[in-house]
Order: sequence, then C-alpha cells, then structure tokens
Amino acid sequence: MCELPIKVVCRANAEYMSPSGKVPFIHVGNQVVSELGPIVQFVKAKGHSLSDGLDEVQKAEMKAYMELVNNMLLTAELYLQWCDEATVGEITHSRYGFPYPWPLNHILAYQKQWEVKRKMKAIGWGNKTLDQVLEDVDQCCQALSQRLGTQPYFFNKQPTELDALVFGHLFTILTTQLTNDELSEKVKNYSNLLAFCRRIEQNYFGENGKGRIPLRLA
Amino acid sequence: MAAPLELRCWGGGWGLPSVHSESLVVLAYAKFSGAPLKVSVIDNTWRGSRGDVPVLTSEDNTVSQPAKILNFLRKQKYNADYHLSAKQGADTLAYIALLEEKLLPAVLHTFWVENDNYFTVTKPWFASRIPFPLSLILPGRMSKRALNRILLTKGEPPLFHLKEVEAQIYRDAKECLNLLSDRLGTSQFFFGDTPTTLDAYVFGFLAPLYKVRFPKVQLQEHLKQLSNLCRFCDDILSCYFRLSFSGFSPAGQDTVDANLQKLTQLVNKESNLIEKMDDNLRQSPQLPPRKLPTLKLTKADEESNSFQPLSP
Repeated sequence: MCELPIKVVCRANAEYMSPSGKVPFIHVGNQVVSELGPIVQFVKAKGHSLSDGLDEVQKAEMKAYMELVNNMLLTAELYLQWCDEATVGEITHSRYGFPYPWPLNHILAYQKQWEVKRKMKAIGWGNKTLDQVLEDVDQCCQALSQRLGTQPYFFNKQPTELDALVFGHLFTILTTQLTNDELSEKVKNYSNLLAFCRRIEQNYFGENGKGRIPLRLA
Repeated sequence: MAAPLELRCWGGGWGLPSVHSESLVVLAYAKFSGAPLKVSVIDNTWRGSRGDVPVLTSEDNTVSQPAKILNFLRKQKYNADYHLSAKQGADTLAYIALLEEKLLPAVLHTFWVENDNYFTVTKPWFASRIPFPLSLILPGRMSKRALNRILLTKGEPPLFHLKEVEAQIYRDAKECLNLLSDRLGTSQFFFGDTPTTLDAYVFGFLAPLYKVRFPKVQLQEHLKQLSNLCRFCDDILSCYFRLSFSGFSPAGQDTVDANLQKLTQLVNKESNLIEKMDDNLRQSPQLPPRKLPTLKLTKADEESNSFQPLSP
C-alpha cells in the first residue's frame, strides 16, 4: 500500500532469525525489524506513512480497532490452531513440524502447543469452548463490518495500517483450509468484509496490480 | 420483574465503591442501566468463594466475569447502550480491547507486581478482607497470576528482563491514556450525555488508578495530568455513587478524602498549605457521615457546601 519494493522469501528458520522471535520481519540494509508495529514505525521514520491524514480522534480509533483485531481475531486463530484437538492433530502438528526431522518435529510442536495453552489460560480463554470462541469472532467481525459500512476502506478513501491488518487476518482465515470451516463461514456472513478483501487483493496483489505476490481468493 | 440480583465483589476504599477494577466496571454499569443490584461485599468471614469475583447470582444463574455479567444484565433489559448506533457499538468493542491490551497490564503491575505498592498497600488491604489463614495465600496467588499474565502476553523476546517489560507496558499505558483523553475531549461521557458500557469500563480501570494512594505513582501522575479523564471519574463518582455512599463505605473518612482530593485539584497541590490542612484533618475528631445536600457537578459548589464544618 505504501508502494515500497519488497521481495518475499520463505525460510523455515524465520522465527529464529527474527530479533523478537516473531515473523514477519524485514531486512533492510543492515537493519532487521520485526512485527507490524515496529515495521510501521520504521517505515514512518523513513518518510512513508499511511495515517498522516488522520486527526487525533481518528488515530485513537484506528489504534483501538487494531487492538480489537489483535485481541479477538489473533487469539481466536491461535486457539483454533493449537487448542482445538481436531485441527491440532490433523493439520497444525504436521505443518509446524514439517521442516524438521523426527523426533524434533513432534517435540517442537508439543512445546509450542503447551506455550499457547498457557497463554490462553493466563488471559482467561482457557475455559472457552469452540462455540464461544466462534461467537467472539462473530462479534468482532460484526464490529468491523459496521465500522466499514459502505466505504471502500476503514477511513474512507485512503487505506491505512488498519486496512492492512484486517486484510491480513481475514484473508488468512478465508483462504486457509482447516478441518472445519466454521471460522471462515463466520467471516463470509459479512458481505462488505468479503468485498473489502477482494478489493485489496485486486488493487494491490492482482495481475494488473503493483505487487509481485500471487494470491487467490477462492 | 427479575428476581433479586446479588453481586459479590471486593469492597471500597479511598472514596471508591470498590477498589477492584472488574467489580467497579459491573457496579458502574449497574448504576448506569438502573439495574437493582444487591451488593454484598467480601469480608473476612468464610461466606462464599473468593475465586471468581465479581460474581452475579440471580435465582438459578451464576455469572462471573464482567463481560458475561454485562451481557446477562442486558438480556434482563437493563441496557445502557440502546441509544447507540451500530458504529458506536463497534467503537465500544474496539476501545474495550484497547483498554485490555494496553492499560490493563500496567494497572495490574501498579497494583500487584510493583513491590513497594504491593507490600504497603495492596496486600494489607486484601489480606484484611480475607479470613486467616487464606489471607496468607490468596494475595500471593493473585499477585503471581497478575505477573504471569503480564509476562505471557507482553514479555516475549527481546524483552526478556522484567525491567524492560515494565518500561514497555508503562509506555503503552501512557499512550493509551493519551488516546482516551483525546477521544473524550470535552464531552461529559464518551458517547454524548448518557453513560454507556464504554464509560463503565473506562471508569472501572481508571478510578482505582486515580484514587488509591500508592508509594510508586508514575502512572497515577500521568493520569492526573489528563484533567478531562480525572473530571470524568469525579463526575461519575459524585453523580452515581454519592447517594449510596453512607450505606457502602465506612463513613466520614472517605467523604473527607474525596473532598480533599477535589480541593487539591482546584488549588495547586504542591503548596504546603494543602499538606498542612491534610494533616490537621486527619488528626481532627471523626465527623459523622454527612449526606451532601444536593448533587451538583460543579466542584466549587460542593466545596463551599461541605467544607465549612471542616475548616479549623
């Protein structure tokens, strides 16, 4: 969205290369910056920012919605991936442990699962059932849908960091195949969110777009 | 007409009906929506559990956790948000998420992890309301749970050391307070003239931070500089919690404390005169609890009404 030239590289040890242990991270010259927040700050320091045109109240709103997405959608994604037994058994373990030889793939997968479960318990999601989690996701999507309304982007004509964040999460939810499709069904209930994802995909990732990453919205 | 609703929550002090954020959120929402709640404060008898506080019981339902309690109250037709538009409802969710992610870790830290605060204020207060020998165990457990939560959600690498995590969470909290102040602006409540769920949540998180006296007060100092947030807390306290005060808190001392706070806000609190008056008042004989004659939002009026008998 900032029209910066990037090259995407996939590596198995990406998490270990990152300074904070989290992906994604960008490598620019001799600097490495990870996670969305710091990357946005870094890009801003270099003179590119998407949210300069917003006033203070709008910036507060944008930050609040970004926290909502992080709080609800991210946690729900983690829950579904690591705390739902069906998904864990069939998909997550094999996907996470894939690049490593036996027995490392099992050990690392279990370790990660234990870490995620501990975190869920600390924030009070440990006792939630899948239905309750899906209900929370629905509430979150409803809030996002109501905020978006009929506008092309969340803050009218120009995309901002919030649009990028929401697109990232919703696109992943819609395009990742899981054992049950309830999560993506919840998102599909909101037609303006679907249209939003398609619009961003076409404008920024499509054939005639400016990006080089091929993505398909099924 | 609903069956009587009973709420068990932690008690009050320092001018607040409760010093526990989550209990305060529920109490505030109940006042805003007009729900008739019978509040039973946890004391040091063995009645009831202390695990999941606040907890609401109606005839055959038990609901814990503020979000679920608020949902339950809404289903019983005690809804403070019915006049909000869909977008405002969405904004409410977003700001609550902001509070929980950015402000809550720092509030937990100020109350439960910061050693000076915990050992001089929080632990004695909670221990005095829990029967022995549970009072030796429970505060420690609550403190560990708070520390755990902070470390697990915020303490990821490269922030390995607690000091760095602390710096980060206080930075986030100050930014969050600034954002709330920007959003509130000069209006009385967050969505116009009537308080809603968001007001209850903000009040619940901010009021203990604002009122409780701590030795280590960096976040409190920052909050006190944001005068519209302080005014917001004081307004809600004086409008919604004044009348039931004498039924609630142990009496005159708290009312005196609340008045003193307002005085120090009006005059410059750095002056010696304020501290001298403070000392005099603490040593003067206990005054019987007085109901303030009228509910007024202007501090000046309440000042002149209630300050006369206390002047030396």
